Amino acid sequence: MQATHAASHADVHHDHDHDLGFWRKYVFSIDHKVIGIQYGLTALAFLLFGFFLMLMMRWQIAKPGQPIPIVGPLLEAVLGQVAAKGIMSPDLYNSFGAMHGTIMVFLAIVPLASGAFGNYLVPLQVGANDMAFPRLNMVSYQFYFFGGIIMFASFFIPGGAAQAGWTSYAPLSLAIPTDGQTFWLLGMVFLITSSLLGSANIIVTIVQLRAPGLTWMRLPFFVWAQFVASFLLLLAFPPLEAAGIMQLMDKVAGTSMFLPSGLAVGGPLDNVSGGGSPLLWQHLFWFLAHPEVYVLILPAMGIISEIIANNTRKPLWGYRSLVYASLGLGFMSFIVWAHHMYLTGMGTVIATFFQTTTMIISIPSVIILTCLLISLWGGSIRFNTPMLFSLAFLPMFGIGGLTGLPLGFSASDIHLHDTYYVIAHFHYVVAPGTIFALFAGIYFWYPKLTGRMMNEFWGKVHFWLSFVFMNLIFQPMFAQGMAGMLRRMSDGGANYATSVLAKSGVEVTGSLSDMIIRLNNYILWAAVGLALAQIPFIINLFWSIKNGQKVKNDNPWDATTLEWQTPTPPPHGNFLKEPSVYRGPYEYSPLGGKGSDFLPQTEPEGVAQTSSTKH
Amino acid sequence: MEIPYAVKPRPDTGVYNAKLGMWLFLASEVMLFGGLFSAYILLRVGAPEGTWTQGLLDIRLGTINTVILAFSAVTTLLAWAACKVRDFGKFKMWHGLTILLALVFLGIKSYEYRDKFSHFQIRKADGTYVDGHIAGSKYVDAAGQEREIHHGFRGKTFTEGEKEFTLASVTLNGYEAETLKEINQPERGHKHEHKDITVPAAEIKKIGNYGPAHNTFTAIYFTMTGLHALHILGGVLVIAYFWGPGSKMWHTEPDRFTNRIEVSGLFWHFVDLVWIFLFPILYLT
Amino acid sequence: MSLKAFHLIFVTALSSLTFGCAIWKFVSYSREHVNADLVWAIASLLAGVAVLIYGKYFLKKLKNVSFL
Repeated sequence: MQATHAASHADVHHDHDHDLGFWRKYVFSIDHKVIGIQYGLTALAFLLFGFFLMLMMRWQIAKPGQPIPIVGPLLEAVLGQVAAKGIMSPDLYNSFGAMHGTIMVFLAIVPLASGAFGNYLVPLQVGANDMAFPRLNMVSYQFYFFGGIIMFASFFIPGGAAQAGWTSYAPLSLAIPTDGQTFWLLGMVFLITSSLLGSANIIVTIVQLRAPGLTWMRLPFFVWAQFVASFLLLLAFPPLEAAGIMQLMDKVAGTSMFLPSGLAVGGPLDNVSGGGSPLLWQHLFWFLAHPEVYVLILPAMGIISEIIANNTRKPLWGYRSLVYASLGLGFMSFIVWAHHMYLTGMGTVIATFFQTTTMIISIPSVIILTCLLISLWGGSIRFNTPMLFSLAFLPMFGIGGLTGLPLGFSASDIHLHDTYYVIAHFHYVVAPGTIFALFAGIYFWYPKLTGRMMNEFWGKVHFWLSFVFMNLIFQPMFAQGMAGMLRRMSDGGANYATSVLAKSGVEVTGSLSDMIIRLNNYILWAAVGLALAQIPFIINLFWSIKNGQKVKNDNPWDATTLEWQTPTPPPHGNFLKEPSVYRGPYEYSPLGGKGSDFLPQTEPEGVAQTSSTKH
Repeated sequence: MEIPYAVKPRPDTGVYNAKLGMWLFLASEVMLFGGLFSAYILLRVGAPEGTWTQGLLDIRLGTINTVILAFSAVTTLLAWAACKVRDFGKFKMWHGLTILLALVFLGIKSYEYRDKFSHFQIRKADGTYVDGHIAGSKYVDAAGQEREIHHGFRGKTFTEGEKEFTLASVTLNGYEAETLKEINQPERGHKHEHKDITVPAAEIKKIGNYGPAHNTFTAIYFTMTGLHALHILGGVLVIAYFWGPGSKMWHTEPDRFTNRIEVSGLFWHFVDLVWIFLFPILYLT
Repeated sequence: MSLKAFHLIFVTALSSLTFGCAIWKFVSYSREHVNADLVWAIASLLAGVAVLIYGKYFLKKLKNVSFL
């Protein structure tokens, strides 16, 4: 009865779609696909914006005190004194640094991975006609959008945006007298609310709206990854919301929950009561921010798994291991947070506990990476653009993960803490890691969204240039960090350079050699190269909507999962008739396959199925 | 287009969508208040000697509010049970009572807040304290003309029209103390004698009310109860909508309406449950 | 979990609050012999008993409603 019901409704709705005006169809839409695209476009815009902030900072690091070419005068015109003569002041550098981190994590990657890909693909892959709560879905995008506007607007208020880093450590964040931090906190409350609503929606959709026959172990790994990531968002974000509300009270109502007694900032602070705990902020912040790392990486792994299975034309190796490893990853990620805080003077017993859990959490990560690597074995690999990005993800994430181990040990972390080594480590995880996976996903599902392929040649140009420049940017930072160069210095360490110190007659052991300082220059030009490498992608993304090669059918990659069983692009309501699922998600190259080398999940009769029942 | 299992439970999971969604939301709420409760513990354990205020809040009012919320949980359950047996009149009565109880709760809470905002503490120049409710203050303008304000304090200076007044003295109805510990953690059974004490402006080093900025106890007290009161307010708005204009759905889709009452009842029970934890940690200890 | 199940949790929490309060006040009465403590203790105990009786009553009344 359910099936006929859905079918009749699909017809009704086909007509109904035309009745909706522009606003209801594209702006206040409750269709999960439109909302997914809204998330995607907004997040891509923020990704580019965050990248430009970094580009300007790289100029300041490489050539401290020199006016920024091209955008310098524009910066001065918009922001005024902080960018006088087109030179980035240390205050501006600080706010760009804080906002680069905030924008990239909370406004670009998470909304892209969970908001855009999660919204568009999860209902399709579980065979649902929409998210469980379509209206709530629209509201969660609007919360995200307003949070983004508040964050963006904070650049233009007097005093500029928040300057205390994306971690907003108290008491620094409270001691800076400008209003940027207040905007940051308000924006975060909106963004957190958006994630909470969105993640609850995704979980309910996966639990409740799976198509008949789609059992838990038949879910594509991407859905599992979204499921775990949504749980992390749901449970890890609220403590930061609590902390954000408390910091907002400190900032606005004059409380001192994060201000200790006897604190002096340019003289003793007499107007606050004191008695608060700055470490409390760090605990609450990292209780979110460590699971957040896995929110960033799990959907990326999900995307990679889909693409690797499809392009090796064979089942994923160790599907169950992948699922259990991601569940283990999600659980463990809640009890490692204090490894960000080894230098806060915690006792050795606590440090040992968090060291141990940190080492344990690397096990599921390695299981996932190993499964994906072994999945390549013996496949007849199609080297198209999404696959190239996916293949690059594996070693890049590997580098990022392995370089994290020295940071997880408290002994070696004392040397590396807060240096460029840390920056290189987590950027290897997120930039050539997650962002490459997101690029792969965009190239892979683009034909489902538009009915046309993206240009393959320019895709490959985009990949190879990005791959080279990403490594040129982040590899030297390991050397800089090990040489002791600290992050968050607006002059790129020039004040600690051996040559500068020698000129004034001071000899300091451990000062930064010329070679280390010069690397700043190389990194700048590599970053410019990376910016240029994105031009083909941006043009390709929009040009292909109208001019790309048309897809030959609804399933251009010969994929097995449910999203390829819909019309292209899927209409409101997605499926023409409710799909029934008869098999697992990756039945490529079935034994003695009949003609084609894949069996879609909706295919009732199949050689693979009969052969597996014989076993 | 219809979303499946919006009203009827899915057979293999046993719940309908909204119920699962609400439980997930409550899980995140547990983490939200969990973060605040752990903040409370850390702040209390780390508070400098004698600064953590105990016995500031009126236990009688707290107990009344606890009883009120307990009864509102009962009326919520009965309203849902009335929907289940298709007795619309009883539903109206029980949930009307819920709304009433919630409003009384908010009324008592705001009375308590007001009491704290008129409760002042003065640190005098000689290091001792005067603590009590404001009884009045005197100001003088530039010409030396005096002006008395009953039950008020408007900062060390305030302007009215053209004239600027500066503080002359503050009168509190309370007691004097040598240390903060005497005020914050008084000996058991010890009652401070209350009388009107006038402190001249010259002797006042710092004056402030028991608002959030007073100390870390009032900070966390106002943050936690404020957030809780916002939850009560949000909950009562939703329940009032279902009781008033939203109850039209009863006549068309009674099953869906019953589900709505159940889901809003889950939220309401959670808010009540938070209070069961807030009451002992803020009022009793 | 239905509202019935959550109501049971709530009743349990409420009764542990009242009994906990009663024990706490009895202990401090036995130590310091302040009469107000005894009044609080007995009141809490009575409230706890009332909550338990109510708990039994509501479970009986909602016998046909599922916990899920």
